[in-house]
Amino acid sequence: MKSSLESLPLLQGVIDCIDVGTLVLDASERVVLWNRWMEHHSGVLGAETLERSFFDLFPEQRGKRLEAAIGQALRSNLPSLLSQTLNRWPLPLYANKAAAEKGERMQQQITVSPLNLGNNERFCLIQVSDVTAAVQRENLLREQAVALRSQTLLDDLTGVANRRHFDMAIDRETRRARRMGTPLSLMMLDIDYFKAYNDHYGHQQGDACLEAVASALSTMQQRPADLFARYGGEEFAVILPDTPADAAVMMANAMCRKVRDLRIPHQASRSDERIVTISIGVASSDSSNAGEVYELINAADRALYQAKACGRNRVHSL
Amino acid sequence: MKPSTVLIVDDSRVSRMLTRQHIQVRHADWVVEEAANGDEAIAKAKGLQPDLVLLDVNMPGMNGVDAAAALRAMLPNAHISLLTANVQAATRQRAEEIGVGFMEKPITAERIAQLIAPLEA
Amino acid sequence: MVRLTELEHDALVELFNIGVGQAASSMSEIVNETVTMSVPAISFLTRATAAKLLTSRSTGNGRLCGISQHYSGAFDTEAILMFPEEKSQEIVRLMVGEAMPLAELSAMEQEAMSEIGNILLNSCVGALANLLGHELHGSLPAYHVGYSEEILAQAGSAETAVLMLHIEFVIERQQIAGDVAFIMDMTALHDLKQHVADFLDRSIGGAQP
Repeated sequence: MKSSLESLPLLQGVIDCIDVGTLVLDASERVVLWNRWMEHHSGVLGAETLERSFFDLFPEQRGKRLEAAIGQALRSNLPSLLSQTLNRWPLPLYANKAAAEKGERMQQQITVSPLNLGNNERFCLIQVSDVTAAVQRENLLREQAVALRSQTLLDDLTGVANRRHFDMAIDRETRRARRMGTPLSLMMLDIDYFKAYNDHYGHQQGDACLEAVASALSTMQQRPADLFARYGGEEFAVILPDTPADAAVMMANAMCRKVRDLRIPHQASRSDERIVTISIGVASSDSSNAGEVYELINAADRALYQAKACGRNRVHSL
Repeated sequence: MKPSTVLIVDDSRVSRMLTRQHIQVRHADWVVEEAANGDEAIAKAKGLQPDLVLLDVNMPGMNGVDAAAALRAMLPNAHISLLTANVQAATRQRAEEIGVGFMEKPITAERIAQLIAPLEA
Repeated sequence: MVRLTELEHDALVELFNIGVGQAASSMSEIVNETVTMSVPAISFLTRATAAKLLTSRSTGNGRLCGISQHYSGAFDTEAILMFPEEKSQEIVRLMVGEAMPLAELSAMEQEAMSEIGNILLNSCVGALANLLGHELHGSLPAYHVGYSEEILAQAGSAETAVLMLHIEFVIERQQIAGDVAFIMDMTALHDLKQHVADFLDRSIGGAQP
């Protein structure tokens, strides 16, 4: 660093160049620094502000959040943030002359920080940023994200098919099975004592458990039309077109075994073997009783309920 | 000067102790009683007939404002004041409507001095 | 674990109530509505216990929104205000009023929550510092979203204690519960206890039963 005498013009130059409104108040709330950004966007020159009380220059700020923030910085040595969401256009600042003429204030984010210089002198540094562009960018990104999310067919956490995909697929397969007279099987399965797992190990590990189980089971479906999907929180569903009940039950049993073989510890499980297990309900329709989508889902749900009632860690089919 | 009677109403024991301290330091002969909630305050006030009542606003059960209203009806000549860290227009207005005073927390010697001044006159 | 006497515990509860009372004042000015906040209880816990407590109480997806600020000086602590994630949008909406279009609200929600955390934490800590007679240096707010274990890990993984405040927040007749965690190491905890004891000595003239 250059000697203090030489670096002063440099620092002054920097303060007047930066793209942030910078003003400093002394302990009596008088303006002691007002940079070029502030001059440019407020229309108030530095010379007009020097030694004047901030609240003489901006009397409408009395009783507002900015006054409280300045007080906290000067009296309690604590910094404050004024978000543009809760404090809309607090200071009369404009992006440019055109905006000033229309009276369109700039969207501002303000921070107020205590500034302690050596000899017990305390000042208050106020920085103002123009966040108009940032707000517009965020709005655009959010709209795009919402649009994207409504098109996706994959579950964020596990990477398997999501509920949206399942709803479309079950609808399609039910109609197809009815038209072609082919059997259709549906499994509903969930992780036993999952709430207890979350309470005991925490939600982060709960998520990891879901991922592990989904990963192990989703690779078991053989055919392209078979679909393994996340139906809800800890519930999964499997659609098996062209599959009669007995074949579906056999696959369900294999799935139960596979999860047991993972031997994921579950200290809070109420079963004897303290490991993670699943219960599966299987329902099927064939040419003789091809019903509506909701009938098949209800049947699979009832079967799952039975599996739970009979002790969990098993398959039940209607 | 006849010794006054003061009733302090606050669910915080430390608050009550602090307020008592500030009063007794200036007037060791005054009678200072305490209540931890609105119901207790009303029950005690009946027998005590205090000259001054200081109430915290934020209390479980009956809040300070409702208790103050009840006490105002019971003790038309007493000085009654609400104490709170949460100074809002709505509370100030309520205090005015009921006819009781209003003082900001935290409790300091100066603020207590202001509150007991009417009794010293 | 450092233990406070019953009187010291009471004093801390009262100091925090004064702090959040002042925060409620500031917020009611922003919102032009009545806002009340109180601290019904405080407790000293290990970080693991604190994380479990927050998880067990959650009714939504268990994710929390946390706003943290670091304080140093009279004592060193990472202070974190936490609300359930689904509640944070509700809070911002209540603070901003219905006038704002939904899309715009979501975009700047984080910033608004950061300011709410800034107001509340500074009020609490500021009141504490003023009454205990010592100053603190604070940072600007940082925003986090995640499960309780992740959020409480902000201060690092060393053996630490957590001073937990449960906060009841009422705005426009809506009641919302949140928590503030002050993460401290043993030194900071000792400092805090000492400051509270000194405050009691000064105010009430010595220890009382």
